[in-house]
Amino acid sequence: MENLSLFFNFGLPLIILMVAYFIGSTIEKKHFANIREREDALHGFPVVSFDTMPDDWNVSSSDMVTGSIVISLDYFKRVIAGLRGLIGGRIKTYEPLLERARREALLRMTESARTQGYDAIFNVRLETSRLANASRDGKGTAGVEMLAFGTAVKLKGRFG
Amino acid sequence: MKFIAKKPREGINVSDEHPLVEAGTLVVGLTAIFIVIALLLVFIVEIALYFVPAETEAELFWDWIPEDLVTVSPNDERLYRTQLLVDRLVDHWADAPYDFRVEIDDSSVANAMALPGGLIIVTQGLLDQVESENELAFVLGHELGHFRNRDHLRALGRGVVMGLFFAVITGNDVAGLGIKATDITVRGFGRKQESKADEFGLAIVHSEYGHVNQASRLFERWNETNQSTSAFVAYLSTHPQPGDRVADLRAIAERDGWQIDGEISQLNWDRN
Repeated sequence: MENLSLFFNFGLPLIILMVAYFIGSTIEKKHFANIREREDALHGFPVVSFDTMPDDWNVSSSDMVTGSIVISLDYFKRVIAGLRGLIGGRIKTYEPLLERARREALLRMTESARTQGYDAIFNVRLETSRLANASRDGKGTAGVEMLAFGTAVKLKGRFG
Repeated sequence: MKFIAKKPREGINVSDEHPLVEAGTLVVGLTAIFIVIALLLVFIVEIALYFVPAETEAELFWDWIPEDLVTVSPNDERLYRTQLLVDRLVDHWADAPYDFRVEIDDSSVANAMALPGGLIIVTQGLLDQVESENELAFVLGHELGHFRNRDHLRALGRGVVMGLFFAVITGNDVAGLGIKATDITVRGFGRKQESKADEFGLAIVHSEYGHVNQASRLFERWNETNQSTSAFVAYLSTHPQPGDRVADLRAIAERDGWQIDGEISQLNWDRN
């Protein structure tokens, strides 16, 4: 009986934490590798944050392009961030998560522009929103959405 | 202006510290901080105890009974006999500040408690398991020892301050492991109080009967039926393990030269 309660009090949370860590970090590593690969493939496609188009761009058509991703925390990240919340400081477990979200959203936006035959994107903006988790009265976080959007343009002549 | 394509730079927004290092530092560090705060709270309770004398406590709580207590009928013979036994035992405690009252809790788990104002609660389960008056006398003497050392108030005070402290930090459901570690650390002090209460209980039993035969018989029986608990589990529980307890009691009796065999008094009620 007592061994059992010991297991439920200390063993089980630790096991869940470790399993969550190994699964979460494997997924994260794979995602980063995938992001780098796709960034390499899109290398050279201009994506800029200027809010006006550079003068020398001679444009034939334009449209808005978006890319968004909804990404969730794993249990390990949540627990460590919760502990961090008691004393403050950088939530280091969340940083790679949001980094992944930003780069993935930009990639999706750029890939969408490229498949539609556009040559460049300007006025690129990023927006984040938190998805509330209904289970804890809306106080919990189910995940974050990262939205990238910008104006994609087709150019009459390629850049020199 | 010429457009030069660049790849995103790595490592600006992401810390290169390993997540497990961060996790370890946080868990260990916070647990240490929790323990320090808990010990401070325990110390504050000790100060409060110093400023509330037993007489004041007895006056404040003289007719207090926990609201959720389910007692047996006031005409129960065992209640009457147990109260008589307590009164006899208290005669050996020269200036007891309390007017001790006994209540029988309607629970099948064997236990006894000391509560503020001299209230001693024994459970039905305990009364079912004791086989002689000497066994019961030692359990009651042990509770009297808690009153003498004021452990009952200490436990109450600690319960309140720890409850408040834990309520503050559990706002975000993750500090669980640290809280449990703190809880266990504080409980470690509890075991010292238990042995002190045991010592007092044994002394009272000796004064009453002239010997300490069968005082620890209840624990010997429990020990025989429950051998398998590990040392680590023993560390976690509030009461000393029955086996350790029997050995400690024997050591006390030997040290003080108390007779360990003598006539057993039977319980004067119908066992059913």
